[in-house]
Amino acid sequence: MSEQSVGRTAPERRADGASTRRRGIVGWGDPRGRRLGGFAFILNRLTGLGVLLYLSFHLVVLSLLARGPSAWDGFVSLAGSPLFLCFDVVLIFGLLFHGLNGIRVTLVGFGLVVDRQRAMLVALMVIGAIVLLIASVHILTVG
Amino acid sequence: MAHSEQPTPDRIGPMWTPSREPSRPTWGWILQAVTGALVLILVTLHMIANHFVVAGGLRDFADVVAYLSNPVVVVLEVLFLVVVTAHGLLGLRAVLFDFGLGPRLEAAITRVLAVLGVAIVAYGLWLTWTITSYH
Repeated sequence: MSEQSVGRTAPERRADGASTRRRGIVGWGDPRGRRLGGFAFILNRLTGLGVLLYLSFHLVVLSLLARGPSAWDGFVSLAGSPLFLCFDVVLIFGLLFHGLNGIRVTLVGFGLVVDRQRAMLVALMVIGAIVLLIASVHILTVG
Repeated sequence: MAHSEQPTPDRIGPMWTPSREPSRPTWGWILQAVTGALVLILVTLHMIANHFVVAGGLRDFADVVAYLSNPVVVVLEVLFLVVVTAHGLLGLRAVLFDFGLGPRLEAAITRVLAVLGVAIVAYGLWLTWTITSYH
Protein backbone atom coordinates (compact mmCIF):
# COMPACT_ATOMS: atom_id res chain seq x y z
CA MET A 1 0.00 0.00 0.00
CA SER A 2 2.75 2.43 0.86
CA GLU A 3 4.25 2.23 -2.60
CA GLN A 4 0.89 2.63 -4.24
CA SER A 5 -0.45 5.33 -1.97
CA VAL A 6 1.29 8.08 -3.86
CA GLY A 7 -1.54 8.17 -6.36
CA ARG A 8 0.21 6.64 -9.33
CA THR A 9 -0.52 3.56 -11.34
CA ALA A 10 2.26 1.03 -11.07
CA PRO A 11 3.71 1.14 -14.60
CA GLU A 12 4.83 -2.48 -14.64
CA ARG A 13 1.21 -3.54 -14.37
CA ARG A 14 -0.06 -1.48 -17.23
CA ALA A 15 -2.01 -3.33 -19.85
CA ASP A 16 -0.40 -1.62 -22.82
CA GLY A 17 3.11 -2.63 -21.80
CA ALA A 18 4.28 0.93 -22.20
CA SER A 19 7.36 2.21 -20.45
CA THR A 20 7.91 0.55 -17.13
CA ARG A 21 9.92 3.45 -15.85
CA ARG A 22 8.29 4.89 -12.84
CA ARG A 23 10.20 8.10 -12.53
CA GLY A 24 12.94 10.14 -14.07
CA ILE A 25 12.87 12.51 -16.99
CA VAL A 26 12.05 9.63 -19.33
CA GLY A 27 8.96 9.20 -17.20
CA TRP A 28 7.59 12.41 -18.71
CA GLY A 29 6.43 10.24 -21.55
CA ASP A 30 4.94 7.76 -19.11
CA PRO A 31 1.88 9.40 -17.64
CA ARG A 32 -1.33 7.64 -16.85
CA GLY A 33 -3.46 8.04 -19.94
CA ARG A 34 -0.42 7.58 -22.09
CA ARG A 35 -1.21 6.67 -25.66
CA LEU A 36 -3.78 9.33 -26.13
CA GLY A 37 -2.32 11.79 -23.71
CA GLY A 38 1.37 11.14 -24.25
CA PHE A 39 2.01 14.27 -26.24
CA ALA A 40 -0.62 16.17 -24.28
CA PHE A 41 1.15 15.33 -21.03
CA ILE A 42 4.50 16.61 -22.27
CA LEU A 43 2.97 19.71 -23.83
CA ASN A 44 1.04 20.28 -20.60
CA ARG A 45 4.31 20.37 -18.67
CA LEU A 46 6.12 22.53 -21.20
CA THR A 47 3.29 25.06 -21.33
CA GLY A 48 3.00 24.92 -17.53
CA LEU A 49 6.68 25.69 -17.06
CA GLY A 50 6.48 28.34 -19.78
CA VAL A 51 3.53 30.06 -18.13
CA LEU A 52 5.31 29.86 -14.77
CA LEU A 53 8.31 31.57 -16.36
CA TYR A 54 6.03 34.23 -17.81
CA LEU A 55 4.35 34.68 -14.43
CA SER A 56 7.72 35.32 -12.75
CA PHE A 57 8.57 37.88 -15.43
CA HIS A 58 5.11 39.42 -15.08
CA LEU A 59 5.47 39.85 -11.31
CA VAL A 60 8.94 41.38 -11.62
CA VAL A 61 7.76 43.79 -14.32
CA LEU A 62 4.80 44.86 -12.19
CA SER A 63 7.27 46.15 -9.58
CA LEU A 64 7.81 49.07 -12.00
CA LEU A 65 4.39 50.25 -10.84
CA ALA A 66 5.88 50.92 -7.41
CA ARG A 67 8.33 53.35 -9.02
CA GLY A 68 5.67 55.61 -10.42
CA PRO A 69 4.23 56.62 -13.80
CA SER A 70 7.43 57.26 -15.76
CA ALA A 71 8.93 53.82 -15.03
CA TRP A 72 5.68 52.01 -15.87
CA ASP A 73 4.71 53.97 -18.96
CA GLY A 74 8.19 53.38 -20.38
CA PHE A 75 7.64 49.64 -20.17
CA VAL A 76 4.15 49.84 -21.68
CA SER A 77 5.53 51.40 -24.87
CA LEU A 78 8.10 48.60 -25.08
CA ALA A 79 5.37 45.98 -24.55
CA GLY A 80 3.56 47.28 -27.63
CA SER A 81 6.47 46.41 -29.92
CA PRO A 82 5.95 43.67 -32.53
CA LEU A 83 8.35 41.28 -30.78
CA PHE A 84 6.44 41.54 -27.50
CA LEU A 85 3.13 41.09 -29.30
CA CYS A 86 4.45 37.86 -30.85
CA PHE A 87 5.38 36.67 -27.37
CA ASP A 88 1.84 37.50 -26.32
CA VAL A 89 0.50 35.15 -29.00
CA VAL A 90 2.81 32.38 -27.73
CA LEU A 91 1.60 33.10 -24.19
CA ILE A 92 -2.06 32.85 -25.25
CA PHE A 93 -1.29 29.51 -26.91
CA GLY A 94 0.33 28.25 -23.69
CA LEU A 95 -2.54 29.45 -21.51
CA LEU A 96 -5.19 27.98 -23.80
CA PHE A 97 -3.52 24.60 -24.15
CA HIS A 98 -2.70 24.29 -20.48
CA GLY A 99 -6.11 25.51 -19.32
CA LEU A 100 -8.22 23.47 -21.73
CA ASN A 101 -6.13 20.30 -21.45
CA GLY A 102 -6.25 20.81 -17.68
CA ILE A 103 -10.03 20.40 -17.80
CA ARG A 104 -9.53 16.98 -19.39
CA VAL A 105 -6.72 15.96 -17.05
CA THR A 106 -8.78 16.91 -14.01
CA LEU A 107 -11.93 15.10 -15.15
CA VAL A 108 -10.01 11.97 -16.13
CA GLY A 109 -7.97 12.14 -12.94
CA PHE A 110 -11.16 11.97 -10.93
CA GLY A 111 -12.32 9.03 -13.04
CA LEU A 112 -14.83 11.00 -15.12
CA VAL A 113 -15.34 10.87 -18.89
CA VAL A 114 -12.41 8.45 -19.08
CA ASP A 115 -13.72 6.50 -22.05
CA ARG A 116 -14.48 9.69 -24.01
CA GLN A 117 -11.29 11.56 -23.28
CA ARG A 118 -9.96 11.47 -26.82
CA ALA A 119 -13.09 13.15 -28.15
CA MET A 120 -12.94 15.59 -25.25
CA LEU A 121 -9.33 16.49 -26.07
CA VAL A 122 -10.18 17.06 -29.73
CA ALA A 123 -13.19 19.22 -28.83
CA LEU A 124 -11.18 21.28 -26.34
CA MET A 125 -8.37 21.78 -28.84
CA VAL A 126 -10.83 22.93 -31.51
CA ILE A 127 -12.19 25.50 -29.05
CA GLY A 128 -8.62 26.50 -28.20
CA ALA A 129 -7.66 26.91 -31.86
CA ILE A 130 -10.64 29.17 -32.51
CA VAL A 131 -9.92 31.33 -29.46
CA LEU A 132 -6.21 31.45 -30.34
CA LEU A 133 -7.03 32.62 -33.87
CA ILE A 134 -9.34 35.37 -32.66
CA ALA A 135 -6.91 36.44 -29.92
CA SER A 136 -3.95 36.49 -32.33
CA VAL A 137 -5.78 38.68 -34.81
CA HIS A 138 -6.80 40.99 -31.98
CA ILE A 139 -3.28 41.19 -30.52
CA LEU A 140 -1.51 41.71 -33.84
CA THR A 141 -3.97 44.27 -35.19
CA VAL A 142 -5.32 46.19 -32.18
CA GLY A 143 -2.16 45.60 -30.12
CA MET B 1 -8.12 -6.90 -26.52
CA ALA B 2 -8.10 -8.67 -23.19
CA HIS B 3 -9.66 -5.80 -21.33
CA SER B 4 -12.35 -4.86 -23.78
CA GLU B 5 -15.02 -5.58 -21.20
CA GLN B 6 -13.59 -2.96 -18.88
CA PRO B 7 -14.88 0.55 -19.41
CA THR B 8 -11.68 2.05 -17.97
CA PRO B 9 -8.74 0.03 -19.24
CA ASP B 10 -5.39 0.79 -17.65
CA ARG B 11 -3.89 2.30 -20.74
CA ILE B 12 -6.22 5.27 -20.59
CA GLY B 13 -7.07 4.91 -16.92
CA PRO B 14 -7.42 7.64 -14.35
CA MET B 15 -4.60 8.96 -12.19
CA TRP B 16 -5.13 6.21 -9.76
CA THR B 17 -6.73 3.03 -10.98
CA PRO B 18 -9.40 1.79 -8.58
CA SER B 19 -9.84 -1.46 -10.50
CA ARG B 20 -6.34 -2.68 -9.73
CA GLU B 21 -4.54 -0.51 -7.27
CA PRO B 22 -6.76 0.91 -4.56
CA SER B 23 -4.68 3.99 -3.89
CA ARG B 24 -5.50 7.46 -2.67
CA PRO B 25 -4.90 10.66 -4.58
CA THR B 26 -2.20 12.82 -3.02
CA TRP B 27 -3.00 16.13 -1.35
CA GLY B 28 -0.85 17.76 -4.03
CA TRP B 29 -3.05 16.42 -6.81
CA ILE B 30 -6.30 17.42 -5.12
CA LEU B 31 -5.00 20.93 -4.44
CA GLN B 32 -3.69 21.13 -7.99
CA ALA B 33 -7.12 20.26 -9.40
CA VAL B 34 -8.96 22.73 -7.13
CA THR B 35 -6.55 25.61 -7.76
CA GLY B 36 -6.53 24.73 -11.46
CA ALA B 37 -10.30 25.11 -11.68
CA LEU B 38 -10.14 28.43 -9.82
CA VAL B 39 -7.29 29.69 -12.00
CA LEU B 40 -9.35 28.89 -15.10
CA ILE B 41 -12.14 31.18 -13.85
CA LEU B 42 -9.90 33.90 -12.40
CA VAL B 43 -7.49 34.11 -15.34
CA THR B 44 -10.46 34.58 -17.66
CA LEU B 45 -11.78 37.41 -15.46
CA HIS B 46 -8.24 38.85 -15.23
CA MET B 47 -7.83 38.93 -19.01
CA ILE B 48 -11.28 40.39 -19.69
CA ALA B 49 -10.96 42.99 -16.91
CA ASN B 50 -7.47 44.06 -18.00
CA HIS B 51 -7.98 44.13 -21.74
CA PHE B 52 -11.63 44.72 -22.54
CA VAL B 53 -13.53 46.51 -19.75
CA VAL B 54 -11.72 49.81 -20.22
CA ALA B 55 -11.71 50.75 -23.91
CA GLY B 56 -8.36 49.69 -25.35
CA GLY B 57 -7.43 47.90 -22.12
CA LEU B 58 -5.31 49.06 -19.21
CA ARG B 59 -2.42 51.05 -20.55
CA ASP B 60 -0.76 53.78 -18.58
CA PHE B 61 -0.12 54.20 -14.88
CA ALA B 62 -3.30 56.20 -14.32
CA ASP B 63 -5.37 53.35 -15.85
CA VAL B 64 -3.85 50.87 -13.40
CA VAL B 65 -4.44 53.12 -10.37
CA ALA B 66 -8.05 53.68 -11.44
CA TYR B 67 -8.54 49.93 -12.00
CA LEU B 68 -7.27 49.07 -8.52
CA SER B 69 -9.42 51.74 -6.88
CA ASN B 70 -12.29 49.24 -7.18
CA PRO B 71 -12.22 47.00 -4.06
CA VAL B 72 -13.88 44.10 -5.92
CA VAL B 73 -11.01 44.20 -8.41
CA VAL B 74 -8.46 44.17 -5.59
CA VAL B 75 -10.09 41.14 -3.97
CA LEU B 76 -10.28 39.23 -7.26
CA GLU B 77 -6.70 40.08 -8.26
CA VAL B 78 -5.30 39.12 -4.85
CA LEU B 79 -7.32 35.90 -4.89
CA PHE B 80 -6.00 35.21 -8.39
CA LEU B 81 -2.44 35.79 -7.21
CA VAL B 82 -2.84 33.39 -4.28
CA VAL B 83 -4.45 30.66 -6.38
CA VAL B 84 -2.17 30.94 -9.39
CA THR B 85 0.92 31.00 -7.17
CA ALA B 86 -0.21 27.83 -5.43
CA HIS B 87 -1.02 26.15 -8.75
CA GLY B 88 2.27 27.12 -10.38
CA LEU B 89 4.44 26.07 -7.45
CA LEU B 90 2.52 22.80 -7.00
CA GLY B 91 3.11 22.13 -10.69
CA LEU B 92 6.81 22.84 -10.31
CA ARG B 93 6.83 20.53 -7.29
CA ALA B 94 5.22 17.74 -9.31
CA VAL B 95 7.78 18.17 -12.10
CA LEU B 96 10.67 18.09 -9.61
CA PHE B 97 9.24 15.05 -7.81
CA ASP B 98 9.17 13.13 -11.10
CA PHE B 99 12.96 13.22 -11.16
CA GLY B 100 12.88 10.57 -8.46
CA LEU B 101 14.39 12.44 -5.53
CA GLY B 102 14.55 10.99 -2.07
CA PRO B 103 11.88 11.69 0.56
CA ARG B 104 14.12 14.09 2.47
CA LEU B 105 14.86 16.20 -0.60
CA GLU B 106 11.19 16.12 -1.54
CA ALA B 107 10.22 17.38 1.92
CA ALA B 108 12.82 20.14 1.63
CA ILE B 109 11.48 21.15 -1.80
CA THR B 110 7.95 21.32 -0.38
CA ARG B 111 9.14 23.60 2.42
CA VAL B 112 11.16 25.88 0.14
CA LEU B 113 8.30 26.22 -2.34
CA ALA B 114 5.84 26.95 0.49
CA VAL B 115 8.09 29.76 1.76
CA LEU B 116 8.51 31.04 -1.82
CA GLY B 117 4.74 31.03 -2.28
CA VAL B 118 4.17 33.04 0.89
CA ALA B 119 6.88 35.49 -0.20
CA ILE B 120 5.28 35.93 -3.65
CA VAL B 121 1.86 36.64 -2.14
CA ALA B 122 3.39 39.04 0.40
CA TYR B 123 5.12 40.85 -2.47
CA GLY B 124 1.82 41.06 -4.36
CA LEU B 125 0.02 42.46 -1.34
CA TRP B 126 2.76 45.04 -0.80
CA LEU B 127 2.64 46.05 -4.47
CA THR B 128 -1.15 46.32 -4.46
CA TRP B 129 -1.01 48.43 -1.31
CA THR B 130 1.67 50.68 -2.83
CA ILE B 131 -0.32 51.24 -6.02
CA THR B 132 -3.66 51.83 -4.33
CA SER B 133 -2.12 54.38 -1.93
CA TYR B 134 -0.43 56.30 -4.75
CA HIS B 135 -1.35 59.98 -4.97
